[in-house]
Amino acid sequence: MADEFEPNILGILCNWCTYAGADLAGTSRMQYPPNVRVIRIMCTGRLDPAFVLKALSVGADGVLISGCHIGDCHYLAGNFKSRRRVALLRKLIEEYGYDRERLRMTFVSASEGALWAEVVQDMVNTIKKLGPNPLKQAGAAQLEGAVADDEF
Amino acid sequence: MDEEKRIGVFVCHCGTNIAGVINVKELVEYAKTLPHVAHAEDYTYMCSTPGQSMIKDRIKEFNLNGTVVAACSPRLHEPTFRKATEEGGVNSFLFTMSNIREQDTWVHMEEPEKAMEKAKDLVRMEVARASKLEPLTPKTVPVEKAALVIGAGIAGIQASLELADAGIKTYLVEKEPSIGGMMSRLDKTFPTLDCSQCILTPKMVDVERNPNIELMTYSEVEGISGYIGNFDVTIRKKSRYVYEDKCNGCGKCQEVCPVSRPNEFDLGLQPRKAAYVPFPQAVPLKFTIDMDSCIKCDLCKGEEACGELEAIDFDKPDELITVKVGTIIVATGFDMYDVERKEEWGYKVFDNVVTGIEFERLIGASGPTGGKVIRPSDGKTPKTVGFVLCAGSRDQDEEDGAKPYCSRVCCMYSLKHAHQLIEKIPGVVPYLFYMDIRSFGKAYEEFYYRIQREGGKFIRGRVARITEDPVTKNLFVTAEDTLLGAPLEMELDMVVLANAVVPAESTQKIKSLLTLSNSPDGFLLEAHPKLNPMSTTTDGVFLAGMCQAPRDIPDVVAHAAAAAAAASIPIHRGSVTLEPIYAIVDPEHCGGCATCIGLCPYGATELKTVDDKLVASVNEAKCKGCGTCGSACPSGAIKMQHFTNEQIMSEIEAFAQGW
Amino acid sequence: MKEYNFFLGCIAPNRYPGIEASAVKTSRKFDIELSDFKGASCCPAPGAFGSMDVDAWLALGARNICLSEKEGKDIALICNGCYKSLFEANHRLKADPALKEKINAILANIDTEFQGTIEVRHLIDILYNDVGTEKVKESVEVPLTGLNVAIHYGCHLLKPKFDRTFGSSERPRFFDELVEALGATSVEYKEKMMCCGAGGGVRSYKIDLALDMCNEKLYNMTQANADVIVNVCPFCYLQLDRGQVEIKEKFGDVYDLPVLHYNQLLGIAQGMSPEELGLDANEIDVEPLLAKIL
Repeated sequence: MADEFEPNILGILCNWCTYAGADLAGTSRMQYPPNVRVIRIMCTGRLDPAFVLKALSVGADGVLISGCHIGDCHYLAGNFKSRRRVALLRKLIEEYGYDRERLRMTFVSASEGALWAEVVQDMVNTIKKLGPNPLKQAGAAQLEGAVADDEF
Repeated sequence: MDEEKRIGVFVCHCGTNIAGVINVKELVEYAKTLPHVAHAEDYTYMCSTPGQSMIKDRIKEFNLNGTVVAACSPRLHEPTFRKATEEGGVNSFLFTMSNIREQDTWVHMEEPEKAMEKAKDLVRMEVARASKLEPLTPKTVPVEKAALVIGAGIAGIQASLELADAGIKTYLVEKEPSIGGMMSRLDKTFPTLDCSQCILTPKMVDVERNPNIELMTYSEVEGISGYIGNFDVTIRKKSRYVYEDKCNGCGKCQEVCPVSRPNEFDLGLQPRKAAYVPFPQAVPLKFTIDMDSCIKCDLCKGEEACGELEAIDFDKPDELITVKVGTIIVATGFDMYDVERKEEWGYKVFDNVVTGIEFERLIGASGPTGGKVIRPSDGKTPKTVGFVLCAGSRDQDEEDGAKPYCSRVCCMYSLKHAHQLIEKIPGVVPYLFYMDIRSFGKAYEEFYYRIQREGGKFIRGRVARITEDPVTKNLFVTAEDTLLGAPLEMELDMVVLANAVVPAESTQKIKSLLTLSNSPDGFLLEAHPKLNPMSTTTDGVFLAGMCQAPRDIPDVVAHAAAAAAAASIPIHRGSVTLEPIYAIVDPEHCGGCATCIGLCPYGATELKTVDDKLVASVNEAKCKGCGTCGSACPSGAIKMQHFTNEQIMSEIEAFAQGW
Repeated sequence: MKEYNFFLGCIAPNRYPGIEASAVKTSRKFDIELSDFKGASCCPAPGAFGSMDVDAWLALGARNICLSEKEGKDIALICNGCYKSLFEANHRLKADPALKEKINAILANIDTEFQGTIEVRHLIDILYNDVGTEKVKESVEVPLTGLNVAIHYGCHLLKPKFDRTFGSSERPRFFDELVEALGATSVEYKEKMMCCGAGGGVRSYKIDLALDMCNEKLYNMTQANADVIVNVCPFCYLQLDRGQVEIKEKFGDVYDLPVLHYNQLLGIAQGMSPEELGLDANEIDVEPLLAKIL
């Protein structure tokens, strides 16, 4: 089983809810798959669509955005905006040949450590079924044609 | 800015929390191979004084201009290491933290190799971010020398008195017509048997008399904006239809009022008029007219009633008041579990099944029976009374809305009820059906022994079902005595359900206004469960009493005093420093499209003319730093400080170097 | 006309064929056809199977459901035990994709797959929620005025609450309303929601305990001046009917309280003859009861 596909997933989490929820999962010693690397932003409203495209273009197998539940945003409505962005992005990445399931947005509050563990597990299962990022499969990890990486 | 980046990486063992799972030495060696890393080192406890000194010393020794600490969550120790970095002579915003404990070693304990791999990735990502960080200067703002306390039960009363005594102007807002909260409904308090009203009323009067306290009863907080030091609060003073300055509390309006309604204060066990005070010791002693039940007969305005005082005005509107405060204490209390949802106990179906708080009114001297315990069905004196403890607490039946936690007060108040019964009714036998008796406080266990001696019967087991004899209205209680290992059925005159304490419905509104969070039990989430149970994640907002967790009166009072102390610190200090995490606009790149204007939830973005060109600009004071504008700017003109595109992109690129 | 596959279960056809007859005949009055369910097996019994191996229990139940799925018909049944097995299997497999996958892996051995396309309904649910008490009332030709009915709901009909659709599990009313629609009186008696004593393997394992519970239940019913026991479960039926003979032998207590399935009572009220409704299969003589009604 040594060469079983282990996905590399990028997590982009809001500081107030999911990042805190992920911390709670840690404090409670809940065990979940170690496939997600987390970037902390203050609010999912900060999610620039380019972050997602960049991540996929450099070979991420999946991107998991997670923030506060709708109505609970620390900045009132940032999660509404990112939810819309993610919905559009899911369609957009299909145009690039990615399965839309490679991008997911979830809502996990500061008290939902167990839910975070579940969300990660589920995302990892999904990505395992989908297989590695097609760019990686093509052996062209340096392929970054999808987005310009210098000018933002 | 073009100075060469020299980053120091500091890896914490956190005892065995991190070092017990991954090889920290290997992580240090790995860090040394990363671009811009000038030094890497590990230490048992980075947060300790020697650990912090190490950061300061190494900054000088290796001429570092950026630091990364790989340890616990930044939500825990970011301030600690920022300070150490600053003290080492490097701007604190050139520091960043890699969370290899909460989000790595603690959650992947069983897969140490993969945890190691992840730790390397996380450190690499933070080093990349550190290489792009820019120095920032926090801004200092003055703090308004006033505080707001929401809720005037014992927690809010205590907190307000403490703040006021510390010389702080305090606005105390209570939604009910009187202050006093749930404690004012209690008869005696365990284990000392102090009369609740006797110890509470003087405090209520103190609140009314204290010149530093501005009391607003029958009022609700409608809006809160701003930030620590400068909150703008909008309060709706609901119309009592009585001018408070004219009302002298004589009660003549109540005498002539022909309307009769169940009194909420007595849980409907006795009536009140449409013109009423909830209870005689109410503070303020000002009458309220309940317009939902008033029939506008005008009798209260007549000669024999309010007459010349002219305090009553049916057209008096609600008032909206705005106040400015520096800090806020939330003391919104709790609700009682709706035990009707436990069908098996027949509450509201059988007359003689009552709740603990109803029993408090039945046994209370100020209650509907003047303290004579009678059973509701026929007014007879009960001779056998069952107490069902944990009625909705320590119960995992989510379907019925029951709560898995211990409510912390029910064991003790049921013991007290048993004592009061024995004291009042010769020959009565109280039966307490319990899971465990949790008598954890000072003199509590002794009180438990006392009730055992006095004749309380303790049955260890849950009550499965209560049925009623339709003729005698006696109750048949089916339970299991787990100590005898046998089921039992008992015929009792009356049953008291010690129903659980649950988060207050009304707290949810305050929670949204202040963008607070709930903990898994539904109570408000504290900044730290052990070391900071009175603070929240919103700066300048504090918690007092049951809104944070179930607790008894002594603990509520201590918690409230702690909240008051914490809330007074920024006020006494006079100023607070705010995170410089706000957006800035580069007018050169801005095309004036106004996309950002509609996105900002705080109205912090606006269009301005600069050099004859219409461009967006961000009001730093209003901006809270969510970054929504920055991510939507089509020309990339908005820079979200400390979370810039460059910084985040560099993290993503570093992430990709993992394969 | 609505057509259901009629799931008979085991006890009804073997012990009390009148339940089937009465169910089919009374339902026709409401334009409901209960047709023969070809190929159905035991539900299987929730106590005997469900307590031992949940997966096997669900798989066997699902097999029955799948047979009806292929015909595109909903299932109707007249037994609380069958109801527990089939309703819960259907409900759980629909709600839990992982469980469905697991059970389908077992069913794959017989080239069957659970789809989740049909409903499993107890006939009393259909009578109350689809037909309604008003129509039931209209169908009455012989009003049962003055008849004191002790209703026995039976445990599996109502519990566990989270897996049922009847609402209250402690103080339900729907059965009472259906009995009252026939002109009879539903008497309140002590411990009305108590188990008959048969289920959960108790009758097979410890007959004395089972009869002791039954005895208490019968006593409470008699105290409330009941003329007849009405239930919707053949196993409760057996326990309450046959149990009286056994109680008489073991404890010497005599009740002579006739037992009917709701559909039999409904049949009487709709003017059907006792023979048509198979009442002669009962242990406790129903003649005195019929004399009182007719």
